[in-house]
Amino acid sequence: MRKYSFRLFLIALFTILSIYLLYPTYKDYQNTKEIKQKLEVLKAKKLKENPSIKKNELDKYLYQMEDSIRNSDPSIAETRAKRIKLGLDLQGGMYLALEVNTAKMFEKIADKKADGTFYQILKEAEKEAKTSDKPFVDIMIEKFKERGIRLSKYFGSVREDEDKIADDLRKQSEDAINRAMEIIRNRIDQYGVSEPSIQKQGTRRIIVELPGVSKQEEARQLLQGRAQLEFRLVKDPEYAAKVIENINKVLSGKMKVDSLKDSTQVVKTDLADNKKEDSVKKDKKQTQEEFLNENPLFKYMQINPYTADGFVEEKMVPKVEQLLKRADVRSVIPSNVEFVFSAKPEIAKDGKKYYTLYLLNAKPELTGEVITNAQANIDPTTNSPIVTMQMNSQGAVEWARITGANIKKRCAIVLDGVVYSAPVIQSKIPSGNSQITGSGSLEEAKILEIILKAGALPAPIDIVEERTVGPSLGQDSISAGFISALLGYILVAIFMVIYYQKSGAIADVALVLIVLYILGILAGFSATLTLPGIAGLVLTMGMAVDANVLIYERIREELSVGKTVKAAIKSGFDNSLSAIVDSNITTLITGFILYQFGTGPVKGFALTLMIGIFTTLFGALVISRVLIDWSTDKTNQISIG
Amino acid sequence: MRIFHNLNVDFMSRRKMFYILSSVIIVLGFISMAIRGMHFGIDFKGGLEVVLNFEKPVSLNEMRAKANQIGIGNPEIKTFGTNGILIRTDVQNITQKQVEELKSYTENMFKTLNSNIKYNLVKSNQDEYIYSFSNADTAQKVVQILLDNGAQAGRVLEENNETLVSVRLSLADYIKMKLKNLFPNNDFEVIKVDKVGPKVGDELKTTAIIAVALSILGILIYLAFRFKFIFALGAVIALFHDVLITLAVYSLLYGVIPGLNLEISLTVLAAFLTLIGYSVNDTVIVFDRIREQLKIYKNIDNLYKHINDAINKTMSRTILTGGTTLISIIVLLLFGGEVLRAFAFTLFIGIITGTYSSIFVASAIVLDYSLKIKKKIEF
Repeated sequence: MRKYSFRLFLIALFTILSIYLLYPTYKDYQNTKEIKQKLEVLKAKKLKENPSIKKNELDKYLYQMEDSIRNSDPSIAETRAKRIKLGLDLQGGMYLALEVNTAKMFEKIADKKADGTFYQILKEAEKEAKTSDKPFVDIMIEKFKERGIRLSKYFGSVREDEDKIADDLRKQSEDAINRAMEIIRNRIDQYGVSEPSIQKQGTRRIIVELPGVSKQEEARQLLQGRAQLEFRLVKDPEYAAKVIENINKVLSGKMKVDSLKDSTQVVKTDLADNKKEDSVKKDKKQTQEEFLNENPLFKYMQINPYTADGFVEEKMVPKVEQLLKRADVRSVIPSNVEFVFSAKPEIAKDGKKYYTLYLLNAKPELTGEVITNAQANIDPTTNSPIVTMQMNSQGAVEWARITGANIKKRCAIVLDGVVYSAPVIQSKIPSGNSQITGSGSLEEAKILEIILKAGALPAPIDIVEERTVGPSLGQDSISAGFISALLGYILVAIFMVIYYQKSGAIADVALVLIVLYILGILAGFSATLTLPGIAGLVLTMGMAVDANVLIYERIREELSVGKTVKAAIKSGFDNSLSAIVDSNITTLITGFILYQFGTGPVKGFALTLMIGIFTTLFGALVISRVLIDWSTDKTNQISIG
Repeated sequence: MRIFHNLNVDFMSRRKMFYILSSVIIVLGFISMAIRGMHFGIDFKGGLEVVLNFEKPVSLNEMRAKANQIGIGNPEIKTFGTNGILIRTDVQNITQKQVEELKSYTENMFKTLNSNIKYNLVKSNQDEYIYSFSNADTAQKVVQILLDNGAQAGRVLEENNETLVSVRLSLADYIKMKLKNLFPNNDFEVIKVDKVGPKVGDELKTTAIIAVALSILGILIYLAFRFKFIFALGAVIALFHDVLITLAVYSLLYGVIPGLNLEISLTVLAAFLTLIGYSVNDTVIVFDRIREQLKIYKNIDNLYKHINDAINKTMSRTILTGGTTLISIIVLLLFGGEVLRAFAFTLFIGIITGTYSSIFVASAIVLDYSLKIKKKIEF
């Protein structure tokens, strides 16, 4: 027994580790089942209350309920993050390959200078770019050169060097894709898709994967619509505090709202009332609980005492959004202001992520079209990152007025409905040339630069590849894959036992462990399981016994030439080793190449195949060996058919 | 239980016959490819593919007849799973006339909300239309109606106090709208949409060729390093043989077996690469035995006998592994569902030819080569 202890320890360790890694997957499956049951109950209830409810309204309601159930318990989200992820082909969703339409962007840059020849060149370049690997901008520049037309005729100024203009154009084209990525990421974050994936592929393509998106039209629209960049003033802390107070009153039931009444009036009358109440309140010392009961909003968010900005923990964001949308709550928020979340969370000392909630003017002071350029830099004097921004003449005039009138107030930079930054206006800016300081890092400043340019240069996005899998097809594929895997295993296992008897059974045990390890490793690396991945698993089962077969055949041969059981086992394993290693490495080569070149589902297949090879080797050379050695230890006999 | 125990067959004596057999199949395949062509899926060809699940079953003929009325070129119609219908077209972009049609359809949809609804077309370009409505509430409702009807994509824009609705009209929408009209009493659900641009298709093709070439190169280098170069070459020729035979079967059987859609898609490409891996795997096992024989019996004159011995000794393993792998492949073929069927079929053919080629192609080539150069192979 002792001589096997190390290997047995290894096997036990891997098995326990795999089970540990797979537990969240199992738990998540259970959670999902429970949530589904709860939703069924809610659905039945809703249908009873309102039999004529429309399907999409019902879906929306159920979707919201599911969201709130999932958000109510952090452990649900935790297990979900650790489970084996399912590919789009299994859970349904959208895969999109997007390309920035640089031609349209250059059209915009050339603006009024564009003429017939210009459009002709753009058209030709566009056609060529369709079949060429070269970036569009290079093709376009070449076309200009071929015709002997100077770039300065359309771009930059006449005095500028041709090469410099060309470099600028290249830079702009590069910027465009980064900008598009940022805009898309921002919108998808807001849309609330769980586990989206946004990747840059090559120089001009963006791959977006949206699991579980059922409304394709909406998602597509989301990606292609034009970006909206706005400058909006942040409300004074006093004003914001009052609004929040009123919301708390509505939520705690202290203030009844007649929804028909003009909302602004409610606020006005209330502002007067509040002053009295405030003074009364100060006398009493409240317990924490009383306080929260009177101010229900503070259960979900904290408030900055100086700016009256709200801080909402990541998982509470949907809850707060939902509260703010309630009709009675909306009625106490004046119609000329709006609550807007920050685009990105800040990580607090406790390690949790907090989004900032701003109260902004509903009407933008200025929109992003006036921005002509933006640049992130490190300020040499203070050594901190700054973003500089230029505006066109019309924008500069407006900007001077806005900044002049609102010194020491904050002006939020809002893209597609979320706040990227809310710098304080330090002084009147007459020329439109502004400096934004206070970015935490150069990286943050770079993002702000990208955002600021988004308003100036909308780069339209074309969808070049789109794949959508409906949830029902995904469900069918999961069960088909599962049945195949199970049936494949049973058949192979029976076959092995018939052919090799006890030794066959040992191979079967090894096979179960191999499958367990593969799944465990997939979960551990949070890899994605796709339908071809399941096929890879089924195939691995077929091929995993190969190593066992090779070894067993060898043992039989050695026995037939008259070796003792012990000797036969030893030389059986030793002699088949080279064949096993060589044959598996060649498969590994193809697996590796598949992984490098494949996309989506094919990648998943390659991954399971590669993991399968390693676990197969372990299964045959360690697990089977130990079990066979062990089982022949006492009797000195081997049951190998 | 034992099969092929103490087998002693002179495989190598019949190698010429099998050379001819393989050549015939490959030539037949080439002829078929020339006449019938190779059928690529939209992954490589580009195009639009929509899979619909109808509430009530629709016959293929009925669907074909109706699909031709849609006016999207000459669409291919196939069954998909049990109740699904796959419609595929090479047409990628929507025509102006179709846009007009979709436009009036959309506008009619506005009217289902309120028969005297007021709307203005503010802006239109290629396939996007922007309408303005009297207030934000109406705009919101219009978008909902559009989404409910599934055919159109709409979004409220933030400009002008959210009274603007952008409607995007695409070919997939057009097909869905037409089908809604053609099958008024049979609701359907879109279960899969694939749209691949022509450039992407070409790129995928190039990547596929690079992937196959690189795997072959990698295998060649590895085997040349572990064995002798001629072994590596034999294995790679066997591998080409397997790929060609499987392609031949693909071309010959295209459209012959009902329910089996033999098109080269990305998943099928993965299957081809797997079959390359399997084929080499199998060949290596035989080669390993030949290498061992040559090492043990220093008398290396009789390569012919050693190769035969190696094949005979590994035969039971060859059949067993081939057998268990085939079992799991057949399970996939029968139960793996629509998406995996072609994948499993490729491997099914591949495993049979892979096993066969290890003996009659790879080993035979090593033998013929050494007979020709009259040089001994030593390890």
